[in-house]
Amino acid sequence: MPSPKLILALLFAICLSCGSILQPWHQAWTGVEKKSGSALETFLGDSRRLFANQIFAKADAYFHSGYYPTIFDAPKKEESHMAGGEEDDAHSTEETNHVEHVEDSAGSFLGPPRDWIDRFSRNFFPSRHTHLEKNGAEREILPWLRLSAELNPQRVETYTIASYWLRSRLGKVKEAEQFLREGLRANPESYEIYFELGRIYEQNHADPLRARNLWEIALRKWEESKKENDEKMKPNEVVYSAIVGNLARLEEAQGHLPKAVFYLKLLKEKSPVPEEIQKQIDEMQTKLNASPQK
Amino acid sequence: MEYRSREVGQGIKIAVDGLNLDVQAGEVFGFLGPNGAGKTTTMNVLLGFVNATSGSASIFGADVRQPIARQRIGYLPELTYYYKFLNTEELLRFYGKIFKIPAAECERRIDAVLKLVELEHARKRLIKTYSKGMQQRAGLAQALINNPDLLILDEPTSGLDPVGRMKVREIIQRLKNEGKTVFFSSHELGEVETVCDRVAIMNEGKLKVAGRVHDLVEQYKMNLEQIFLKVIGYEVNS
Amino acid sequence: MNNALALAGIVIKELYRRKDFYVLFILTALITLAMGSFKLFNDDQIVRYIKEICLKLIWLSSIVIAITTAARQLPAEKEMRTIFPLLAKPITRGQVVLGKFLGCWFACGLALLLFYTFFCIISGVREHHWPLLNYFQALWLHWVFLAVVTALVLLGSVIFSAVSANATISFIVVTGILFVARHLNKIALQMTEPGRSVTYAIYFAVPHLELFDVSDLIIHDFPQISWGICGLATLYGATYAALFLVATWLVFRRKSLN
Repeated sequence: MPSPKLILALLFAICLSCGSILQPWHQAWTGVEKKSGSALETFLGDSRRLFANQIFAKADAYFHSGYYPTIFDAPKKEESHMAGGEEDDAHSTEETNHVEHVEDSAGSFLGPPRDWIDRFSRNFFPSRHTHLEKNGAEREILPWLRLSAELNPQRVETYTIASYWLRSRLGKVKEAEQFLREGLRANPESYEIYFELGRIYEQNHADPLRARNLWEIALRKWEESKKENDEKMKPNEVVYSAIVGNLARLEEAQGHLPKAVFYLKLLKEKSPVPEEIQKQIDEMQTKLNASPQK
Repeated sequence: MEYRSREVGQGIKIAVDGLNLDVQAGEVFGFLGPNGAGKTTTMNVLLGFVNATSGSASIFGADVRQPIARQRIGYLPELTYYYKFLNTEELLRFYGKIFKIPAAECERRIDAVLKLVELEHARKRLIKTYSKGMQQRAGLAQALINNPDLLILDEPTSGLDPVGRMKVREIIQRLKNEGKTVFFSSHELGEVETVCDRVAIMNEGKLKVAGRVHDLVEQYKMNLEQIFLKVIGYEVNS
Repeated sequence: MNNALALAGIVIKELYRRKDFYVLFILTALITLAMGSFKLFNDDQIVRYIKEICLKLIWLSSIVIAITTAARQLPAEKEMRTIFPLLAKPITRGQVVLGKFLGCWFACGLALLLFYTFFCIISGVREHHWPLLNYFQALWLHWVFLAVVTALVLLGSVIFSAVSANATISFIVVTGILFVARHLNKIALQMTEPGRSVTYAIYFAVPHLELFDVSDLIIHDFPQISWGICGLATLYGATYAALFLVATWLVFRRKSLN
């Protein structure tokens, strides 16, 4: 009877041999071997995208200090206003001014209490709509955005939202840029990320040339995505408007009025207020006609 | 201690039928019978673990269902399992609290019973490290912690080696000398004959015979073992 | 009452001599410290996610400790036959039930104290802010929650024959109540009769354990709950705990020990 240790060694050798034979076959079967060795990706597989959505919602919940609808509550139509942007700056300012406006009775997802238990229970969880408004409190949403990006690197808004808060409220411009570039590596065709990068260069680095380059790339990517995804997914026209709007503003500031007019014309096609845009175009045309040709 | 019971049992099985028994203060009473005779059930009724279907039982005049009836008794179960995460000292202190023994008196009694059962050297060791004999002695210690007037012992020498059995017999004898009442069941007829004043033999839930050991031996002209076998209906080869 | 307290002391001794509690505490501490060691975006002032992770672990650990401790008390006494020498003493079955409950509850309280102290230190070190009264309220309400859970599990232990069945069912019931009970009234509205009435009946009958979970208020730095409300919640929890304990006593006193 051979010794047990010998049998164990033999079994181990057989396992190793099988492994080395099967590994290339498995690689051929699954396709290109993934470069990322992320543990989350390995453990969760494709379901990590579901988790990513939940984690993203968690960030939104944190932005609202825990006041957030559950799956049992009637969903609100408005999108998350954790998203960054000047329009959201204005919105959040409004919210600050109206933070005393108690929405429980009508406007919130909770609605008026249905019974004494419901009424009593509202003392024990966040039942008021608030935003993270204290200096730097917005940092609390970042871990969830980081995790969401880790789970689903293809969700572009994770990067843009995080970048907005990092650069505009927390003063972490370098980190914002790094995160955006990370997003760009995972999403090389993302016009949103290019746009955000452009904003960083324009607003934080005071580098309008680079900003313009990035916005022009963003515009090009947007147009390419429009051609490719016509049936599948409508590219975001709000972002398009922001890109061309910012380009127009930048060109005007730089004194390149013809280019500014060109971008304003593009903006007019998508704008809900074309007459306002036309007014601006007219003003610019007037200035153009008035200035001597060089 | 009195039994006034008609029948004890659940469903269709009558575990104890028509048992009437008196045990006098200060005597050592042996409660005998083959396996399944109803000895443990009778003890369970006395201790309030099981309710009699009819009839009553009392200890020192108190109904056995009242906790006060158990204030003056000590009980050693057949299978001695105690809290494994405690040591004997902690176990005795716990039971002392239940008997509402004052702390100083309790410590004195703990020392005394541990000395009696020869477990002083192992008082700080967890019970789970004890041998069977040590566990039995720990059981005896907890049965004695309240200095009971009545000791109910269910097969006290079960599983013990001859030395252990001798020690238990010595303890029973000592208790008898102190005027305590001891009520115990056993299969060891030799030691029952030696130690007991009176015995009762049960079989199939019924009391077959009861009386002084000496009187029974005189009456049947046999030793206790032969009387036991005859009473339970086992043919004895003469 | 002395008998019950003596028995409670034994239960507490058992808990701290078993290894489970230490394992859970060390696990909680390690995971929290690991999570806290990440420096996200070069910002070491981010604290709420650590508080959430720590509190979630504390809640999970406390539920496990309460359920596993309470579920095995009475069945273990019967299985190990320690119930016989115990009930042979001048102690009633009601005192046994009360003693087991108090022991489990106090033991859980001690465990909670340790967990919350750790939480207090971790969050204070990051936040440089010690809302001790808020933390005390959270700890107190958590402890009341554990009273209800302990009493519920003790009731289960005299109904179900197997400890594992009781523990599993209790765990499912408790987590189900924590996640869903608050929303049963909304679910009922979307149902037709008789489902609606049944759901409403369940909604009003079950103990609303989610009332005692104020983690979100702690995580997001909300002000304290009014002490009156806290008192009412305590009364609510105490009522349910008493109800379950009385039910346990009623079942246990009729149970044959053989």
